[in-house]
Amino acid sequence: MKHDSISRRRALQQVAILLGGAISAPTVAGVLSTATRRAWATAPTWAPRTLSPAQLELVATLAEHIIPQTETPGARAAGVHRFVDTLLTDHYPAAERDRFLAGLAGVDGSARSTHGKVFVQCAPEQRIALLTELDAQAYAPGSAADGWFFRRLKELTLVGYYTSEIGAMQELHVSPFGAYRGDIPYSSVGRAWA
Amino acid sequence: MITYDAIVIGSGITGGWAAKELTEKGLQTLVIERGRNVEHRKDYITEHKPSWEFPLRNARLAVGTQGAEEYPIQARTGQFHESVKHFFMKDHRNPYVEDTPFTWIQGDQVGGKSLIWGRQVYRWSDLDFEANLRDGHGVDWPIRYADVAPWYSYVERFIGVSGEKLGLPQLPDGEFQPPMELNAGEKFVKAGLERAFPDRRLTIGRVAILTQALNGRLPCHYCGPCERGCSTGSYFSSQASTLPAARATGRLTIVPDSVVHSLIYDAAKNRVTGVRVVDTTTKQTREYSGRLVFMCASTLGTARVLLNSKSPSFPNGLANSSGVLGRYLMDHHFRVGASGVIEGLLDHYYQGNRPNGIYVARFRNLGDEASRRSDYVRGFGYQGGASRQGWARGAGEPGFGVELKRKLHDPGRWSMGMTGFGECLPRVDNYVELADQTDEFGIPVLRIHCTWGDNELAMRKDMAASAAEMLEAAGVKDVRTNDANRQGRLGAEPGLGIHEMGTARMGRDPKTSVLNAHNQAHDVPNLFVTDGACMASSSCVNPSITYMALTARACDYAVAESKRGNL
Repeated sequence: MKHDSISRRRALQQVAILLGGAISAPTVAGVLSTATRRAWATAPTWAPRTLSPAQLELVATLAEHIIPQTETPGARAAGVHRFVDTLLTDHYPAAERDRFLAGLAGVDGSARSTHGKVFVQCAPEQRIALLTELDAQAYAPGSAADGWFFRRLKELTLVGYYTSEIGAMQELHVSPFGAYRGDIPYSSVGRAWA
Repeated sequence: MITYDAIVIGSGITGGWAAKELTEKGLQTLVIERGRNVEHRKDYITEHKPSWEFPLRNARLAVGTQGAEEYPIQARTGQFHESVKHFFMKDHRNPYVEDTPFTWIQGDQVGGKSLIWGRQVYRWSDLDFEANLRDGHGVDWPIRYADVAPWYSYVERFIGVSGEKLGLPQLPDGEFQPPMELNAGEKFVKAGLERAFPDRRLTIGRVAILTQALNGRLPCHYCGPCERGCSTGSYFSSQASTLPAARATGRLTIVPDSVVHSLIYDAAKNRVTGVRVVDTTTKQTREYSGRLVFMCASTLGTARVLLNSKSPSFPNGLANSSGVLGRYLMDHHFRVGASGVIEGLLDHYYQGNRPNGIYVARFRNLGDEASRRSDYVRGFGYQGGASRQGWARGAGEPGFGVELKRKLHDPGRWSMGMTGFGECLPRVDNYVELADQTDEFGIPVLRIHCTWGDNELAMRKDMAASAAEMLEAAGVKDVRTNDANRQGRLGAEPGLGIHEMGTARMGRDPKTSVLNAHNQAHDVPNLFVTDGACMASSSCVNPSITYMALTARACDYAVAESKRGNL
């Protein structure tokens, strides 16, 4: 949550200064219209609408473990957690959203019972051990119900990442417009099309 | 009040053609469209928009999800995505009653479904035009391939069709621009399939997308999603092709936001004299008068208007002395086939988003003993394609972290799929009628009753089995068949093919058909129906180009008859 809350606070302070500094940042946040907030969708003032700050940080952490930063940015930099919040808020039926949130709670439940703390506070190797277990369970035969959350989390991470500008343009690339060539050497391309 | 020389109802694929032909022949023509205006280029609001600019990343808006609230029927089709929802009907604007599951996919704008259609275009052959006569289902078509062939050519030269000539009698060649290219996976399957089955042909789809410039329209630039609209006019739509031609004559008037309530009939003259519309914005009623009416309102839209045009002479719907109006509804049955993976070819890839796939021409019941099936009549073709698996495969496999990211950096294996499109028999018990309810414009809604019959169900078994057999013979591995049909439930229900046709069929006998050989109502000489409603059988190939050819042909006839004073 660190990144989001700090930059959001800073942006609100700037708005407050523009307005003469007479009102506090929380009040400014209240007067920002929906349209303004939408225009700022990728701006630092972005705030989750379904996920709590702790849940948002959990999603960002999980997603970054699934698609980490390498020589290209990872899921957190691509804003996968924001995409997940948008989907949960604006697309998912309530039952599916609740199931996903319950899955998030389940991750913290496992972390607590194994390591005595929530997932994001676990050491990196503890997190990876937990995820390795979740991943193995999710794809084991007969895991349809139990594995739903992790499979869905992985799917949302991949969609959120590879359809982002970072995922589509830096990690992979978008096929250029112009011609269709049906049989070219893969070595001449070197990356999958987004 | 102005009396137009002609009134065309609908501005989609056939309405646009009627508008072009009639205005070019000198007729002052009014086009009435129930939906909003959509201007070429300006209103293609999602064209070339990258995925990250869509809040939901161009999600498929399935039934029951947020974003599909106003589209509970439209959301049943896999075509319904965030990027194109504005080109589909908000279902409350045209509700209907489903006696049996029937998915009515509709456009609601100038251009109709021509903006979002699949663009696959295949000529019918005499195998199709003679089918009813040969096996006794439905009534004999009053026309044959020779009657339509020149009109196919006329249409193809104007809309632009790219494709490969094959010399097959069951899939006649047309006036083609150079074909798009098969990819490496498809070339592999084609070679193996045609080696194993020398009488079967796999070809690139014949498609109303330009590979060469035509009439100021540019060749395809392979951005991919045609259905968002195309500023270069590279695929055929009313906006890109027919409506500009009609407009150029100075004789075209289009009124959008006007849903037709009924046609006005003068019994003394036995002529249609005008059209009664409801303004969808103000809900006020208006009338227009015209000397000639072309129904191009889509199959079910046309059936509904005619059924609702009641008079003492025609108490059961206009031009319905036969009683068959609304009956013999058909669609293509699909979502059945097979898929598998191709081993190797890992240094082969492609570039560009080709908005087209492969086609396997019909090979069953061609009239000879070798292709005859004892378990069903008629036939089917396949559409499909090969591609390398993308990043989405990662969600279906274990693994995460750097290893997963490295894996998804490269494309996965080649996969190949084929989906059959099967002919549907014309049956009297597949029908539409007016329900007791009315819509928000005061027009009675349709009640639809349509199911697949035994012939379609028997054919589906072969469609799945033959797809698997051909893929395996071609060397494709892990081949699995699929069939989405759940009889009586959603899955591959009638309508989902979006090739609905019939309900005002052509025929030789006024007692058993609504239209004659020129799409002219037997009962009312100045009334023509040239959309899918006119069809007396369904063939197995995509129907739109046949509707276009029949429309151009009917316009030619109507204007000639009008000049002779017969209308």
